[in-house]
Amino acid sequence: MRTNIITAEESAKAFKPTKKPDVIKKQKLDVRYHVEDCDIHDRPRRFLAAFAAILKHTNYRFALEHFIRVSTKCSRCAVQCPVYQATGDDRDIPCYRSELLLSVYRRHFTVAGSIRGRLTGSGHLTDAKIEEMAEHFWNCTACRRCTLECPVGIDHALITHLGRFILSEIGIAPRALVVSTREQLEGKTGNTSAIPVPALKDTLEFLEEDMKEEKGVDITFPLDQENCEYLFTPAVSDFLMEAETLMGIAAVFKATGGSWTISTQNYDAINYGLFYSDRILERVIRRLYAESDRLKAKSLLIGECGHASRTAKYYVPVHCGGDKARPVFHIMEYTYRMLREGKLKLDPNVVTETVTYHDPCNIARQGWIVDQPRHIINAFCKNFVEMTPRGKENICCGGGGGTVSIDEVRPYRTLVGGKAKADQIRATGAKYLIAPCANCKKQLRELVEDQKIDCEVVGLHDLIYKAIIFDGAPTDNQNSAGKG
Amino acid sequence: MQEILDFTGGPLFRLSFLIMLLGLARIFFLDIYNAVEAYKKAGDKKLAWGDAVKKTLRWMFPVKSAFTQRPIYSVISILFHIGLILVPIFLLAHIQLWKDGIGISWWHLPPFWADFLTLLTVSGALALFIGRIGSKGARILSRKQDYLWPLFLLVPFVTGYLCANTIISPGTYQFLMLVHILSGNIIFILLPFTKIAHCVLIPLSQFIIALAWKFPARVDEKICTSLNKKEAQV
Repeated sequence: MRTNIITAEESAKAFKPTKKPDVIKKQKLDVRYHVEDCDIHDRPRRFLAAFAAILKHTNYRFALEHFIRVSTKCSRCAVQCPVYQATGDDRDIPCYRSELLLSVYRRHFTVAGSIRGRLTGSGHLTDAKIEEMAEHFWNCTACRRCTLECPVGIDHALITHLGRFILSEIGIAPRALVVSTREQLEGKTGNTSAIPVPALKDTLEFLEEDMKEEKGVDITFPLDQENCEYLFTPAVSDFLMEAETLMGIAAVFKATGGSWTISTQNYDAINYGLFYSDRILERVIRRLYAESDRLKAKSLLIGECGHASRTAKYYVPVHCGGDKARPVFHIMEYTYRMLREGKLKLDPNVVTETVTYHDPCNIARQGWIVDQPRHIINAFCKNFVEMTPRGKENICCGGGGGTVSIDEVRPYRTLVGGKAKADQIRATGAKYLIAPCANCKKQLRELVEDQKIDCEVVGLHDLIYKAIIFDGAPTDNQNSAGKG
Repeated sequence: MQEILDFTGGPLFRLSFLIMLLGLARIFFLDIYNAVEAYKKAGDKKLAWGDAVKKTLRWMFPVKSAFTQRPIYSVISILFHIGLILVPIFLLAHIQLWKDGIGISWWHLPPFWADFLTLLTVSGALALFIGRIGSKGARILSRKQDYLWPLFLLVPFVTGYLCANTIISPGTYQFLMLVHILSGNIIFILLPFTKIAHCVLIPLSQFIIALAWKFPARVDEKICTSLNKKEAQV
């Protein structure tokens, strides 16, 4: 992967401070994202206390012990980091970012480090260092590509993940994420977009009418039904922004006769905990899982959303009973299975434009969902072009790690984080860019707009909706293709 | 002079070698012990073992990875490591010492290959050192030990090569041999306590990072209690 370093002009735009100087002074924190008014006193001591508590109760310590011993500082990870490739700033090398936290661990939590630190009277945690961490850990898009390329096997993404967790415990986390999560866990609506139930029901009714009109078939969104096969939970923002994706999913269930339901108690799978706090991650997961208890669903099905799928798939077993927990699936796994079993029929003459596929990091990096969407796409899209690299080695959209939800860093995301992706998209010349992830979709739409790329960002089920064939009710090609 | 040589090659060598063995065993088994403890605490015990094995082999024998990214650096690094590992273990002169001392011996490198690999390692170490001071990215990451190791590793290789391949006076030979053995001993002692520990820890890395993402179940409440945050707003 190679992309050019951004120009000085672009750099000034991408790193433009979004806060007033007096706010920065008051918060004693010069970062581009907004934080809530937080306790600024004695930050180093409180950081270390939080670090100690987290080490005591979690599993990070054994990994840190390993990392401080094996790190050889070879700088090979630099070639994989889309942020470093765009900025050319050496402080954006993943290994440098990791060392920020590893050095604190070495100095304050190892015997040798403590002795050396006391003898030399140096190396201890300072406010300046906390500020550096607060900036650099949030420059990372948590795409985990660097981990692929580390010869000694250091997981820089894990270190950044832990660093953000500790920072959040002393009040340093993007306000955009914190406020949404507060609404989800403690607010009236119980979801990150603050959509009340009546508005949800209205939206779904409206979509049902739309589908009836467009497809001539009664397609419904079943609500609060018990004993279903799948409890379907998308990223809640889909109800506001991704109508076509939801209609595509409902249509697939209609055509395949699947048993599914959406809960009106919890219809948000977004889990910002993955981006800034394991404690929050745990709370959101347990709340999501409790809904499957209430409705006695056999399994959990997550919509087109990368981080929501990853958190549910990997942390439902962690927090809700290991092997015995209900299985978690991604919607594309369901659709792929139905296609393979011959229950889903797609018209190959509807989507004729060039189509490309963006692998969301959170579902592709570990190799979980790479081939399934490609089988589906190849089943009905004639002009499918691949990006390079792809699959497990894909390049991040530039809005990963929660940064997409921080509106004040949009210039950073589209000029720095998403630069390599923009080059990749341009090279395909595709008309449709399929991105089956709520975060990726938002970021990529802003990216193609800011980078002036002529291409439409869609979900996989948006295209499926155009091409789906219902037995006895042929698709109106003209109609659905024209909508594109 | 001979007494000093006998001492460095005898008791001092035995002590250094023992420190290395015990030190490496300590960090290796400590790593495994910690990993087992972490595994017991993990809320989800299902690990992608196969994937971890595959990645481990990929990095222990990095044939495929070498040419994908930064090929020149990668090839130099690999050649450097081959000589560094093979020559000290499979050099005939070293095996002879083991045979004289404890009566065991094993396969040895043909002398031509031993010399060739030595020169490869020496040039590799120099190239890596130059690469490190020459690259802005590597410079910002480097600690003192990162610069010193490639240079220090050169000492036993260069002195060993000179002793084996050049015609020199007995006095010079003894002096070089002393430097050779002493530097070797110092390396043995430092091995477990510096970044060279990666020589035994790399096989564990991929398992450790796979396991590290398997968090323990239900830590929210415990951390909140520790930090007095039970009533705190999200």
